[in-house]
Amino acid sequence: MKTLKIILNGKETTAKPDQTILEVATENGVFIPTLCHSNALEPAAMCRLCMVELTEGKRSKFVTSCNYPLRQDAEVKTDTEAIRRGRKMIIELLMARCPDSDELKRLAGEYGANLSRFEPLNDDCVVCGLCARVCEKVGGKTLTLSGRGVHIKVDTAFGEASPYCIGCGACVQICPVNAIEIEDIEDERVITIHGKEAARIKLNHCETCNQYYGPVIDLTKVMERLGEKTIPPPNLNLCPACARQKLGKRIADRYYDVY
Amino acid sequence: MAAIEVKYQEPEIDFTLIDRIIRDDYGGNKENLIMMMQAIQKQYRYLPYSALKYLSDYMGIPFTKIYEIATFYASFSIEPKGKHILSVCTGTACHLKGSGEMIKYIKEKTGLEPGKTTPDMKLTLECVNCVGACGLAPVVIINEKYNPEAELSLVSEFIEQVKAE
Repeated sequence: MKTLKIILNGKETTAKPDQTILEVATENGVFIPTLCHSNALEPAAMCRLCMVELTEGKRSKFVTSCNYPLRQDAEVKTDTEAIRRGRKMIIELLMARCPDSDELKRLAGEYGANLSRFEPLNDDCVVCGLCARVCEKVGGKTLTLSGRGVHIKVDTAFGEASPYCIGCGACVQICPVNAIEIEDIEDERVITIHGKEAARIKLNHCETCNQYYGPVIDLTKVMERLGEKTIPPPNLNLCPACARQKLGKRIADRYYDVY
Repeated sequence: MAAIEVKYQEPEIDFTLIDRIIRDDYGGNKENLIMMMQAIQKQYRYLPYSALKYLSDYMGIPFTKIYEIATFYASFSIEPKGKHILSVCTGTACHLKGSGEMIKYIKEKTGLEPGKTTPDMKLTLECVNCVGACGLAPVVIINEKYNPEAELSLVSEFIEQVKAE
């Protein structure tokens, strides 16, 4: 396969066609800040923090490195004065949306962002879309970005508590600003977005230790996704700790039986 | 004219009709989803909750995905709309020619904010950004009929007509 010659911050390196700039930079140990990127998901270029300066041929332009596929020899600069200015502006705007995020605070310190420049909105969400994308791929296809332009927000269908949620918590784990909350209240798991209940799932009950664990989910859909038709009959009434204990006991019993 | 809770009221949905739209008119193809939604909207003047739910179940498309499409496009509405739709262009040219005054006038006469419907479900006021007829400003669209160089008298006549119904 053809390899491309890329000059990355003055150093010469190679790339495969259709590799994104971010991938090439990561391979070469060049750090590009991102908020909306995850290796497991399709890039969406929502946060615009990964902007780099690209020179293909004669003209140079600013592109989002996470979703720009390299097709020809190019020169990439990831940390010029213009880019730092652009990133600073983006961070200032994002900080106005959610001033409490640790990740954003760290970036603001790094780029010297002026935090009093824009009126705070206190939205707690940077609308990176990671939760919606991960929910589509991992979870029950519950979350989405509804509306467009300035009205865009993370939402469930018609803003009501969704019956499709499987309580996997992938959205909570992936959120860069910790805007989604997950909590196990007695026998239910509640996921909250923007202070509004997004889903409520019943939890399984362990018959040995009398505690609640993992959510009750319809396994047929999971098996469908895995390409298997039959549902395995696992010991559904045991929490992982008790199941381990039971297994350990069984192994120990067998050990003494043999000798 | 009693105040009705518009949000939770839904017309009777004819599911055989939706079936016909999905299966016969568009062959049940996922690519035609937007056309199907347009056909449903034409029938009920908005996208009813249960019709979208049925569409989602029938096509095997996640309900959230359909909601995303319905909220993304300005031509779709998930809120019920009135029998008559009055759209006023608020593009730059129309604004200069006095469409802002027109909206103020309509608001005075009917109490409607842009995008809202009267409680008796007769009239909806909409603001469109530009209809591409700036040379004919101001443009008012009454029930999909374009009226170039519209005057206040035209709008007031129409409102009287709707009220008289």
